[in-house]
Parts: sequence; structure tokens; C-alpha cells
Amino acid sequence: MIDRRRFLTGAVGSAAAGLGLSSCARIPDAADNVIRYWGMDAANADKDEAVREAYLQTDAGKGVEIHIDQVPVSGAADMSQVITAVRGGTAPDLWWTGRFTTPQAASIGLLEPLDPLIERYEDVSVEEFKQQWIQFAVDEVTYDGQLYGLPTDTDARGLMYNEDVLLDAGIDLDMFDPEQHVLTWDELREASRQITEVDGEGNYTRLGFAPWLHEGWGYTWGFGLGADAYDNDTAAVTLDSPEWKAVYELYADWAEEFGYGKVDVFNATYQPPNAPPSQTAMFSGRLGIQTTGPWQIQANEKYAPDLPLKYTWLPVVDDGDPTYTWSGGFSLAIPTGANITKTLWDYMKFHAGFEGQSIVMPPLGNVPTHLRAIEERKYNPGAEIFRQMLPGSIARPPLPVGQAIWDTLDRGKESVIVGSLTPQEAIETNQAYIEPKMDLFDGYKMPDTYGQPNEVPES
Amino acid sequence: MQNESAEAGDTPPGNVLTSISTAAPNDSSDRPRPRPRARRMTKAKRRNLRLGLMFISPWIVGLVVFIGYPVVYSIALSFTRYSGMGAPTWVGAQNYITAFTDPLVAKAASNTLFYAMIAVPLALVIALVLAIAMNQNVREVALYRTIFYAPSLIPAFAMSFIFIVFLNPQFGVFNQIMNVFNEGNVNLLGDPTGVKIAIVMITQFGAGNAALIFLAGLRNVPKTLYEAARVDGAGPLRQFFTITLPLLSPVILFNLITGVSGALQVFTEAYVITNGTGDPDAGALFYMMYLYRNAFGFAELGYASALAVLLFLVGLGLALTIFRFSRRLVNYDVEAS
Repeated sequence: MIDRRRFLTGAVGSAAAGLGLSSCARIPDAADNVIRYWGMDAANADKDEAVREAYLQTDAGKGVEIHIDQVPVSGAADMSQVITAVRGGTAPDLWWTGRFTTPQAASIGLLEPLDPLIERYEDVSVEEFKQQWIQFAVDEVTYDGQLYGLPTDTDARGLMYNEDVLLDAGIDLDMFDPEQHVLTWDELREASRQITEVDGEGNYTRLGFAPWLHEGWGYTWGFGLGADAYDNDTAAVTLDSPEWKAVYELYADWAEEFGYGKVDVFNATYQPPNAPPSQTAMFSGRLGIQTTGPWQIQANEKYAPDLPLKYTWLPVVDDGDPTYTWSGGFSLAIPTGANITKTLWDYMKFHAGFEGQSIVMPPLGNVPTHLRAIEERKYNPGAEIFRQMLPGSIARPPLPVGQAIWDTLDRGKESVIVGSLTPQEAIETNQAYIEPKMDLFDGYKMPDTYGQPNEVPES
Repeated sequence: MQNESAEAGDTPPGNVLTSISTAAPNDSSDRPRPRPRARRMTKAKRRNLRLGLMFISPWIVGLVVFIGYPVVYSIALSFTRYSGMGAPTWVGAQNYITAFTDPLVAKAASNTLFYAMIAVPLALVIALVLAIAMNQNVREVALYRTIFYAPSLIPAFAMSFIFIVFLNPQFGVFNQIMNVFNEGNVNLLGDPTGVKIAIVMITQFGAGNAALIFLAGLRNVPKTLYEAARVDGAGPLRQFFTITLPLLSPVILFNLITGVSGALQVFTEAYVITNGTGDPDAGALFYMMYLYRNAFGFAELGYASALAVLLFLVGLGLALTIFRFSRRLVNYDVEAS
């Protein structure tokens, strides 16, 4: 029979061994030929692996070990996993992360600047090196004058419409043809009226369009109405400008006509929260027009290959107004504490460069940010219209409080369409919420090139 | 099958307390009692104490490392600006000042209090009804207990997904019932107040845990009291209000305090249903969601820690208030009832 002393000694020993083993598990050695990479996500693991395999076939890739982990993210801008890893000394060497939150991550010291690596390993200047990628994407990963990521994919917002639904409603399809016409808001509203159908109890059984659904964010319409979140010259938050008020008036106007409650019931019926990607109001023929981007191509081809779904420009105020859109996307960044080597830099350049983007973008549906990849059409042909949108596209302002601005703009939208705030109250609330946060970055300057037209090669 | 209701009354819990409370006056004496001299522990007692501490050491270590240290660290962080990286910067009471001027804190707090004021009393009633149903003297009582308790085993996030389907404006069971009274479909999750009501409904499916505690309380009510009441002509309703409810009051107090504490920390259901946004119109932005957003969305761990400290203080204040007001209502003495 085991005595108490042996039992206690054994129990303590086992616990210590268990802790030791578990803390050592799954962490590859930080050798110079080893790269630990936190990839895109589980659904796109095949694309990460394809790039890795291609790299290992190159001369530079010989003898290199690339360990890919698909670490789930809890939500937009949630960096707790990578912060924990950095603090725990288990940071990845390379991290696929949203460009929009890069300035925020850089501002807290979570990322390594890339300028020293460019100066150390490249034969060209930093400015020249950055010119490989589209300008707005570079601006988005720039914080305090330094580059913190290499851009990978991008997108743009446009209108997607179902030709069958439009024809059934008696709408002239030429009006939606991006080659022939750019819709005005009045035309879009009239089309929406024509498409919308109501049952005996007043429920929408078919809806034309609602500007607050899908990609109808504050920025989406704000960029078309000249709204800016931040004035670089005066280093001031400008969320209470008349242009932002116009954005919220637009929401309020549509909500008044189509009814927030009725549209909400429609949306919750045919596209409930957390519904699978195959269950959308558009795929079931209930919705005529929605705001979306090129990532939708992948879902369309998979779940609704026979539906005549087409894309066009976002609506403008007056006929002849310039088109507009905004672009998001991802980048590869190096977290603080990574094992920074020439091997890592070479792989990073490969993955975010022409070769990697050529492999990833066609199946992903998004548009490359690497100019040569755009020029050589290394993207899904269905994304061509989004490529055409890129020269006039703009990124969300690269600010260290970007996520908080995004949140408050969205809350303002909700308040206005529900009717709890007027547009004027919404912009005042937004300004009051963000100003103190931005005060911590007194005199902050975004890159001078932010908001300028982008040079995009014809494909 | 044993008669479980009959067994329940065999060992009244109040006896011990009663003996303590009735023994106290007998000890009263005019002469001050001599203070017992501190006696040195024997070698055997010291050894037993050492072994006892060793046996509970995992719990002590766990308490200190996983609760004590984070609480103290969180209080310290609440006076700093800290992103999780680098060194915290001392800002004094700035985070607390910000919390009292941040309109979203007020919004989140009012949402949380609204939820707590409905969810907690409702949960007590439902749990008590469940416990009474679980305590019936029928052959299949074990089966009923399992059935009543089973929903509590469903994880909150899974229950939230089930409710999204349940509340679907067109196909959901809820709207099929509501359509008898309403014209036109309603999306409860699309209304700032409705979404809170929906979350109250979801959380009631966890009432089985509180019901088990009520059940233990019910089984400890002395059977003799019911017999005496019946002899005096008291009906079931009178017995419930004059015997069951007063003797359950310590359990009700326990469930009330743990319920309030849980309600102040409501998070999972709202996070799943609204994808973490708290929409519509911040109607489901509960205090913990806003705290979480600040900590992990905006990397403002100092501010989030201040919010956590404030929540702790409010929870403590509510618990103390409940204790204070419950003194006359809670009955720990079986014989005194």
C-alpha cells in the first residue's frame, strides 16, 4: 500500500511534469531557419500552405521550416491572443493581421518597424521599396512615419444586384451596367421602391435596398459625401462636420421611408444573425441590391453559381459626380519579440509580394495590393470591376484610435435608424467620444499621401 | 421507491443553529470569564495542521495566484494607462473620472441594471417552482429532476444560437405565438428593449442550478411542521407562505446574491447574439461587454480595470444592501418560526 509521503511526492512530481510538458508543447524552436507564422484563418489554411510549399521550392526556401498556426480571433481588433503570446515569449515571427488596426497595434509597441529591415536587406531605399504596393495600402500600415506591415490583399465596396429580381421588378438593367452608368441615390431609391414587395400583414417579402445593411457602414457613404474623420493639417477629429451629418441624414431618410423595424424583420427572417454563408437574402432571391465587395465572389461561386449576380459602382448624389469607394484588407506584420532574420524577411517578402499574392488572390476573390500582381491579373476575373475602383479608392484613416472611431460611427448609425438620436446628436456624440481618446496622440499626422489618388496599372 | 419527501424532514438544519442560539443566554454570567491561556499545540496537532495545510495547498495556491493576484493587479492597473505592452503609465484617478463621464458606461450600466432587475427575480421564481416540482412525492421524480435540470447543462452560447432560431420573425415559434395577438412579424432581437428581454429569457434556462439549491433547502424543512400545520387546518397555500417560504429564506438570500452577482456580469448571450456589437442601438451593450471591448478591442487595460473595480464595488454594495434589508426577513432558526 502506498504511504502518504510517497503519494504526496508522486502527486507533486506528476503535476510539475504535466505543467512542464504542456508549456513546452507546440512551440517550435526559435532557430534562424524556423519561421512561426500565424496565418489567415482556418477556412483559408490551404492558401497559406500553398504559399509555403511554393517558397520551399525556391533556392531561398531550402532548409527553411515554416510552422503555420491558424489562431482564431475573437472579433475585430481583438489582439489579446498576440499580446498574450508576445508577453509570454511565444510570439509568432509573422502575423497575418488587419491593416486597419495596424497603427493601433504599432502605437502600443506590439509590432516591429520594417524600415530597419528594408535598409539592412534591400538595395533600394524604403520609399522605393514601398512603391511595389498600392499607395492606400501602404498608408494604412504606416504609423509615425514607419512601415509596420507588408500589404497582402485588398477589396473595394460596390453594389451587387440580382438581375432576375431587377428584371422581375421591371427595372432597366442598363441603369445598373457599370460600363454605361453610375446610379444616383434617387435612382437607387426608385429602384428599391419598385423591387420591394409586401405581404398582407405588412411584412416585406422582397426588399430592394437598405443603406445600413451589409457593407453600408458610415465610412462607405461618408467617403462619397466628403466626410473625413481627421484633419491632418489641424490634427483634429472632425466627426461632427456637416458631411458626417449628411451621412446620418441619409440613413434617417431611408429608415423613415422603408422603416427600420420592417427592414430588420426582413433581414432577421431571411438572413438571421450568425446564419451560414449559404443562407442570405440575396441567394434566396428576396433581396435585389446590397453593398458588398470582391470577397463575395467566392461565396457566389460556391453557393449560388447559377444566380445572375452582378456588380456596379456605389451610388452618387448627382449624375456625373465622381465615383468613390473604400478598401480594407490585410498585411503581414512582425510582432515584437519575433526572431528577426534574413530568412524571415525573405519569406515575408515572398508571401506579401508578387509570388505569394499570385497564389492567394485568385481563389480568395480579393484583389492584390502588389502592383505587378494587379498588372498581370493575378486575381479572380470576376473581381475586375473592383480592380477598376482602386485608383479612386481610399483606406479608412490610419489612426491609433481607428477601431474606436469605427465603433462609434456604427453606433451612431444604429441610433439614427432606430430613432433614438437625431443626426445632429449622433455626430456630437461621436465627436465627444473620440476627441479625448485622440488627445493622447497630440499633433498626430497621417501619411501625407493618405487620401490621394492611387496609381494602379491597367491589367 | 423511498418516500423522499418524508425523508426530507428528518434532520432539520436549524437544530444546530437553534442549539447555538438557545445556548447563548445560558452562558451569560455577571462574572467576567477568565481568558483561556494560550496553550501550545502538541507535536501531533502541529503535524496534523501541517498536513492539513498541505492537502488544501492546491486550493490556497489557486486562490492566491488566480484570484488574489489578478484582483490586486487589476486594482493597481486601474490607476494607469496600460495597453498590455510596455510599462503602465500612472494616471491617478483619471480612468475613474473618465468612467463617470463616458456616456457608454452609463448606457451599459443601465442596460445591465434593467436586465438584472427583471432576470434575477424571475430566475428566483422559476427556480423555486422547479424545485417544488422536483420535490414531489411521485415515482418518476428522478426523471423529472433530470428533465428540469437538463437545460442548465446547455452552454450559454449554444442556447443563444437556439434562441436566434426560436425568435426568427417569420419561422420562429415565438412569433407564431405572438402572431395571435399581433399583426405583422416582430424581431425581438432588433429592438433595443426586446433584445434585453430575449436575453432574460435565454438565461432563465439556467435556473436548474438555483433550483437544485432550493431543492436541498426544501428537503431540509422539518416534516413535523407541515403535520402540525395540517392539524391546525392550514391548506397547501398557507403552508407554503407560512412554513416553506420563511424556512427557505436563507436559500433565497443566497440565490438572490449569487443571482445579482451573475446578472451584473452578463456577457456570453449578448456577445453571441449581437456578434459583440451590443446592437441594436447599444440595447444589448452590457457592462461586461463594454469592459471587454475596452480591454481587448481598444487595448485600454487600465480603463477596463477601472471599470472592473467599479463593477466590483457596485456588486459589493448591492450584496451588503441586500444583507442589510434581509436581516428581518431571513430566518435561520427553525424553532423560532
